[in-house]
Amino acid sequence: MASPHPESPAGRLAPPLRLQSKPLRQPQPEPSLGEILRRNGVSRRGFLKFCAATATLMALPPSMVPAIAAALETARRPSVIWLSFQECTGCTESLTRSVSPTVENLILDTISLDYHHTLQAAAGEAAEHAREEAMNANQGQYILVVDGSLPGPDANPGYSTIAGISNYEMLMDTVKGAAAVVAVGTCAAFGGLPKADPNPSGAVAVQDLVKDKPVINVSGCPPLPMVITGVLAQFLTFGKLPELDEYRRPLAFFGQAIHDRCYRRPFYDKGLFAESFDDKGAKAGWCLYRLGCKGPMAYNACATMKWNSGASWPIESGAPCLGCSEPNFWDAGGFYDALSVPPGRPGEALLTAGALGAALGAAAGALGRRKVKTAGLAHQAVTADQLEQQL
Amino acid sequence: MTDAVLSPGADSVATGDTVPPAAPRVARPADQPAARRTAQPAPATRAGNFSLQRGLQALREEMDAPVAAFFSSCVHCGLCATACPFFVETGDPKYTPIYKLEPMRILWERELTLWGRLKAAVGLGKQVTDEMLAEWEPLLYDSCTMCGRCSMVCPVGNDIQYMIRKAREGQVASGHAPEGLIAASVRAVRTGSPMGLKWKTLDVQIKHVETATGLTVPIDQQGADYLVLLSSMEIINFPEYLEAITKIFAHAGVSWTLSEQCFEATNAGVQIGSKDIAATLVQRVVDAAERLDVKHVISPECGHAYTAIRWEGPNAIKRAYPFQVFHIIEVLDQLRAEGRIKTQGKETDRLSMHDPCNLARKSGVIQQQRDLMDLIADDFVDLKEHGRLQWCCGAGGGVSSNERAAALKMAAFKRKKAQIEAVEPDRMVTMCATCRTQLEEGLEELTMDIPVVGLTELIADHLVMPEPPPAAEEARS
Repeated sequence: MASPHPESPAGRLAPPLRLQSKPLRQPQPEPSLGEILRRNGVSRRGFLKFCAATATLMALPPSMVPAIAAALETARRPSVIWLSFQECTGCTESLTRSVSPTVENLILDTISLDYHHTLQAAAGEAAEHAREEAMNANQGQYILVVDGSLPGPDANPGYSTIAGISNYEMLMDTVKGAAAVVAVGTCAAFGGLPKADPNPSGAVAVQDLVKDKPVINVSGCPPLPMVITGVLAQFLTFGKLPELDEYRRPLAFFGQAIHDRCYRRPFYDKGLFAESFDDKGAKAGWCLYRLGCKGPMAYNACATMKWNSGASWPIESGAPCLGCSEPNFWDAGGFYDALSVPPGRPGEALLTAGALGAALGAAAGALGRRKVKTAGLAHQAVTADQLEQQL
Repeated sequence: MTDAVLSPGADSVATGDTVPPAAPRVARPADQPAARRTAQPAPATRAGNFSLQRGLQALREEMDAPVAAFFSSCVHCGLCATACPFFVETGDPKYTPIYKLEPMRILWERELTLWGRLKAAVGLGKQVTDEMLAEWEPLLYDSCTMCGRCSMVCPVGNDIQYMIRKAREGQVASGHAPEGLIAASVRAVRTGSPMGLKWKTLDVQIKHVETATGLTVPIDQQGADYLVLLSSMEIINFPEYLEAITKIFAHAGVSWTLSEQCFEATNAGVQIGSKDIAATLVQRVVDAAERLDVKHVISPECGHAYTAIRWEGPNAIKRAYPFQVFHIIEVLDQLRAEGRIKTQGKETDRLSMHDPCNLARKSGVIQQQRDLMDLIADDFVDLKEHGRLQWCCGAGGGVSSNERAAALKMAAFKRKKAQIEAVEPDRMVTMCATCRTQLEEGLEELTMDIPVVGLTELIADHLVMPEPPPAAEEARS
């Protein structure tokens, strides 16, 4: 399935579609998504395959595939404003880097990405003008995508500004007219690296600030591209947002632990573990649990969808899962400590607790000893005379 | 009533001594504890300046590291209950040994543990009240002989009888000690004997012994090897003991003496639980021994007298002795080992033996009495549980001096009775006057015809005597 069919136009198409496809954004009259895809050489077969995959990922019945196809065929280009705050651009890289043109990036290209300061050609006043224009033109309709965390309202806004506007101000301003907010990447979803201890910039996640609009967290460092497009596809298909888990992540992609879908799981079940990165177990592809794999507590779709167009994924390349789609994963202990090793600095904590306990015990003991000694000094001797008075 | 021999009133009548008569007692069943005292609010200070505060202070004084460790370590397994004859024979859970220490434990938890202090600071947690000490009086005195069997079985090594001894300090200081023991303590301090005996009573017995044996009982012999102590119960009930050691020591050529200054070995202070009274009584023995400059002091056939002088004594008077303390059985076995005791003939009936707790369990004197039995018994059979884990007769630790405990004392004896029945002896041998009295009374009450004899007199009966009467005649002629 991964290898392109010889007759598939997608297989023959050269990659430079992404940014060069911007000219397509002169919509007069505005073409539908299906038309754009076909114009870019995506076959009907490839398109349906994408729809089927989307339906599968979203745990929809097969009967929904035609509905998805029909909806996507006729969908108008949704307006998307993409704000990048305290981030490393890894999320954008993840979305835009593909070895061959895929339906995902075609959809990405197809959307009316009206503002993305990494990708857009415009800069400065012109760029900000474009944002304002898009907001005004699509008031209440556009999807706001955010990557990166931002300094909270109480933090020094100088840690991150764009065109002299603080991230906080820009987010709150832009979110007003948005239909929904998609927080892409762990930084936007949960604060990520900027928020990691000791969080010098006072970073917060989007969901900490946006309370009056639906927020969807597409976490991961970076997230899988298919997950972003899947969320957009669902929005386009059903006009509503997907079902979310407790962290507001789409259940369709974040419903299962890496561990439960990991191809190395049988080794775990047999108790076969790699003990170092170059031992017999590591070479034989045994479970990486003891090398710090966070698969059992990481919920993401890597194990099923893989990366780089299905080429591989971290565990397959011999690296333990870092659990990057989980909140606060940077502070959850060493990447190479097994899950059973408590996070933080238990040694120091235990030593401190032990020292405190010993001090308390010694103090209580000293008090007690004093009490006993005092009682001994105050001893009133029992005499026969005293006893006799009781008779 | 055989009880009469134990009653101080009866003794004083028998001996003609003047003893202040005990106040009339209100008969009270043992399982209705201290109803008389709890009926009305306890006075802040009762007669003799005893009060709750003084009692608590005495308990605080007794909280040493072992006590703290023991209370912290208790795992509530209840094994001590199954080791206690009072629980086993009554089935009443309040007789669980560690439960008898509940007031002391509550005080420890409240005042000497971190959580207890925190709880007390916010007004939580139990407090020890005067009513509680009154309620626990029968548990600490009537249902415990401090036999130490519970201490032996405790899986975490808690020495429960050690703590009972300490808890009694609090009972005495708060005015919640049994009247029988208070009276015995007063008499012991005043007259030198818990039964109110004076030297002249013993003097009469000495004359009897000298007439019967033709031997001289040495009195106040300066520089003798052994100072022999007696117990009042022996003087009154078992005068054959004095006769026996007179014969044995003459036979073995032992240099010994009695002291007119101090003949009493027992220590009512240890039983009631007052280290002050205990120290006073121990000091008398030490003074007499030092004045006569003896090398050894011999405790008689009495269990608690031996542990009181040998183990508790130096701690009570806070210094080491210039002499050694032995139980008479230890001395006799030493003489046997040295070949200084020659016996003839053997007892042919079936004999069994009761080990006194203080001697066997608490002092490790176990093999000596058996080696001595081998000298003179053909058909000796041990009780199933003997030595270290023998069962208490039920009368020690002050229970026999506490009339309120009479019913419980007999209940606890049922365990001993069952043990005796299992081996069907013709006679029982023992080496403690309190055990012996309890065995005699108990067996009589249960209509079992099994006489009880002291081991020392049994040995004396089999001595090869070097024809003392002819020798005496020779000397006279």
